[in-house]
Amino acid sequence: MKKRHEQKLILLSIGLMVAFSIPVSLLFNSEQEVLGYPMLLVYFFAVWMVSIITAFVIVKKYE
Amino acid sequence: MSSFALFSVVLVYLALLFLVAYLAEKKKSKLWINNPYIYALSLAVYCTAWTYYGSIGVAATSGLSYLTIYIGPVIVIPAWIYINTRIVRISRINKISSLADFISLRYGNSRSLSAIITMVCLFAIIPYIGLQIKAISETFHLVTETPVSKNILTDSATFVVVLIAVFSSYYGTRYVDASEKRLGIISAIALESFLKLFFIIILGLFVIYFVFDGFSDIYEKASRFSDFKAKNTLNGVEGALNWMVLCMISGTAICILPRQFHTAIIENRQEKHIKTALWFFPLYLLVFTLFIFPIAWGGRLIFNGQNVNPEFYSILIPQYFNNTVVTVLVFLGGLSSSISMIIISSITLSIMLSNNMIIPYGLLGKFKAENEANNTRIITRIRKFSIFGLVIMAFAFYKYFILKTSLDSVGLISFVIIAQLAPGYFGAIFWRRGSYRGVLTGLVAGLVICYFGLIIPQYYFSYNQEFKGVLRSMYDAFSFFDIPYLGRIPEVFFWSLLLNAGLFAMISVSMKGNYRERNFAELYVDIDQYIQNHENAFIWRGTAYVSDIRNILVRFLGQKKTEQAMRIFNLKYNIDSEAETADSRFIKFSENLLAGRIGTASAKILIEGVTKEDKISLKEVLNILEESKENIILNKKLTEQSQELKKLSDDLQNANENLIVKDRQKDDFLDSVAHELRTPITAIRSAGEILADDDDIPPDIKKEFLNNIITESDRLNEIINDILYLDKLEHGEIALNVRKNNILETYKKALNPLLHLIQQKNIHISEVNLLNHFIFEYDEARLIQLFQNILGNALKFTGEQGTIQTKFFIREQELMITVFNTGKHIPEEDLELIFDKFYQSKNQNILKQAGSGLGLAICRKIIQNHGGTIRAENSGLGVTFIIHLPHRHKNMKLNDKKAL
Amino acid sequence: MKKIIIADDEHKILMSLEYSFKKNGYDVYIARDGTEVLDFLKTMVPDVILLDIMMPNLDGYSTLEMIRHDERLKDTNVIFLSAKNNPKDIEKGLEMGADAYVTKPYSIKRLMQRIEEMNNR
Repeated sequence: MKKRHEQKLILLSIGLMVAFSIPVSLLFNSEQEVLGYPMLLVYFFAVWMVSIITAFVIVKKYE
Repeated sequence: MSSFALFSVVLVYLALLFLVAYLAEKKKSKLWINNPYIYALSLAVYCTAWTYYGSIGVAATSGLSYLTIYIGPVIVIPAWIYINTRIVRISRINKISSLADFISLRYGNSRSLSAIITMVCLFAIIPYIGLQIKAISETFHLVTETPVSKNILTDSATFVVVLIAVFSSYYGTRYVDASEKRLGIISAIALESFLKLFFIIILGLFVIYFVFDGFSDIYEKASRFSDFKAKNTLNGVEGALNWMVLCMISGTAICILPRQFHTAIIENRQEKHIKTALWFFPLYLLVFTLFIFPIAWGGRLIFNGQNVNPEFYSILIPQYFNNTVVTVLVFLGGLSSSISMIIISSITLSIMLSNNMIIPYGLLGKFKAENEANNTRIITRIRKFSIFGLVIMAFAFYKYFILKTSLDSVGLISFVIIAQLAPGYFGAIFWRRGSYRGVLTGLVAGLVICYFGLIIPQYYFSYNQEFKGVLRSMYDAFSFFDIPYLGRIPEVFFWSLLLNAGLFAMISVSMKGNYRERNFAELYVDIDQYIQNHENAFIWRGTAYVSDIRNILVRFLGQKKTEQAMRIFNLKYNIDSEAETADSRFIKFSENLLAGRIGTASAKILIEGVTKEDKISLKEVLNILEESKENIILNKKLTEQSQELKKLSDDLQNANENLIVKDRQKDDFLDSVAHELRTPITAIRSAGEILADDDDIPPDIKKEFLNNIITESDRLNEIINDILYLDKLEHGEIALNVRKNNILETYKKALNPLLHLIQQKNIHISEVNLLNHFIFEYDEARLIQLFQNILGNALKFTGEQGTIQTKFFIREQELMITVFNTGKHIPEEDLELIFDKFYQSKNQNILKQAGSGLGLAICRKIIQNHGGTIRAENSGLGVTFIIHLPHRHKNMKLNDKKAL
Repeated sequence: MKKIIIADDEHKILMSLEYSFKKNGYDVYIARDGTEVLDFLKTMVPDVILLDIMMPNLDGYSTLEMIRHDERLKDTNVIFLSAKNNPKDIEKGLEMGADAYVTKPYSIKRLMQRIEEMNNR
């Protein structure tokens, strides 16, 4: 895999770090509910799922 | 369920694992070895009983923090594409067999460092193994509904533990060369990862759909708990901070835990498997955690008010509903998680123990004296006993220390302790200056903080004792560093790592390492450069004899393997096999070979024992490294240049061959031109000869002959003109005058001169116009020529009273013109060849044209210059020529002189 | 009367040859390709055959091969008339069994003289 595609994945890691870190995670830290579930939970799982899909796409595309 | 029954279930399960491992070893089929999913699944050994049971406990009592154990890895794993790929390469080249090897080799291959790291791992992991045993024991008792016996020997769970210890020690030592992959065990681990996920899904579905009426039902009921909201949100900045730090802890752990290092790095077969793991492993974790929430809150709902340990909700819930099958399945899932952890951890700990503590500190002398078979046996035996001993030690630890502690806190403490290796670990591959002293100092400092911050309090707290005396005053002194908004464990993590990394950095920067460290630093950080010939990168000077070293090698590898390895080495570096002295490359090579058996530290000691190394200064080493780096760059440049040269020479050769071909083509062409010209000349000459010699030639015949002369002269002229014209077209000397023109009008202009001939032959000519616009861009004069040639051709080959039909239409937005004439078909093999110059078919069923023989070639050239195509097709009662004229195109040869 | 078959796919060349040979008292048979030559040969034995080489359907070489396999024609003189005049082609033609190879353009007079000589031999 070329270097720049590797860097995309590193960027994904960094993005995840930011997404789960203080300022950002607190944004979603409310008692509101989204789709009937706690917003924070939904946020966490959504980010998680998106990261899996992103990693999958990057790996498959530049195989 | 009776103890005996459950025990039998466990036996059957272990037998299954054994069978899988055995089959995988035996078959070693390509499918299995190269399967990236086996690798990815084996990484899930991360999910132990802590995940299986402990997470549910945390989810039920403290809410979201259970997620931190998984989120940490999810954050770090994408970066593995960079980090782990390099670590795999370094480990493969240096025959690294354990985490301790990896780190200590980097910092100078020091025996003491590797021993210390081994001890850290032991301190961190033995309690962790104890945790698994605790889980197995307690769930065993839960399922069989028996109390834990005070007497160990009569406790049924004890037998399970002993069984596992024996199984692990037997199966973990099948190979002495620790660098060899253990396909069997990894396959069994992968199976276990699958099973534990599968069983927790079954439990999840059971709770969601059987006990309750769906996910929303659980949610709705659970939300009535007073603490529900609190548990599902972060507790302000403080909560979020703790959350973050916990994620960092687990993110570090996923990289450094010995069992993770083992499955991710040492058992890695192909670098590209890492790519699959990148997305597969987080996906696995996602599915796993999806069910923790409903199970945890379902448990709270069911056992509301009762004093039940939430960690074991997963067993208790199905048991509450008297569903033995699900209960046993859950138990098996927990068993899977525990056993896989125990096996891998004990294997890797035993490797570390034997390679870094037992052998180098006691047995090297013995090994030097024995032969290979004995040495192998000894090493295997040491490892076997280590594994067994470790499991039993963990068992004891569980019984005496963590009986009353939660799974969660033991696990986290383990993580924090193992995290002390992080600065050295990551520094090894990223920082050239990282030195041995720095690592050691930082490590020790971090451990001290862990000891006082975590272990002592834990010990006291589990026994509800108070600190007394000295310990009390020390504890109070440290309270200065208390961070109020961090929990105890995150706080200790923070301080210990801060001090650890800080000391590591400061000392590495202020004190220079020795040259050996620096050498390995280069090898590690620049692994990509040295990957091909790492032996060359090893700097060593002194006296060494091949025979001495070979003796040592033979003692561990045996005669045959040693000979083989040496042969390959000599071949690689083009060394005479009779050479007596050994150079640095051979030293590295031998150390590598031995490291596979006894670890890098012991290997170095053994080799050191038979060689005499000269002191080299660090400065010298740095110079050599600089030089070799420059050499590598130079080499690269040279290789690139030579490749360029080769390419150039290939190009030159091609061009030359082209020229030769073109030359021959030119000769052939001249031949055929001469041939073509001679035919009309013959007719003219013959007619002229007759007219000159024969006086009484009948007037009508005379007239005919005279006409012949004229027409053949014209023909000659036509041929000559066409030849020159075609030549100009081919050499791009005729610039296309591309303008917007009306295609139908152009066609009419071309057709006009031919009309009377058409009438003469009684040919019926028609046009079909399917265009909705008529303006296209082309060179009108050329197209007129093209039409005239095609029409002329059609004329010649259409019999009397035949038909010529021209069609104009658009296909795929481009102009198509077809000209159809009735008449004989063209033979299949000639359909393309008729466009060649002067082409005469062998099986000509068409009469030879009276024209120049170049008409179609000219057509093709004209249309090619427009970037289009022309071809012929047999259709129905005649032949169709199909012309394709594209839009104004970059392929249009507007005005270029093409070289020959 | 001497019989001659003249084969060439060029009409105008055939005309000239036909006229000249007829004038010289030959019984002339015109063929436009090798198959027509063979057709004639089914029913008669000519004294001379003038063969163009590049003809459709059956070219001069193939026709000559067929001719040489025919016992009846062993006394027939076969002459190649061809625009191909490089030495290799001439050699090939003669090796195949032609009695002479005349390149185009030729002088009809000289051609006829040559044929006379061949006949008298």
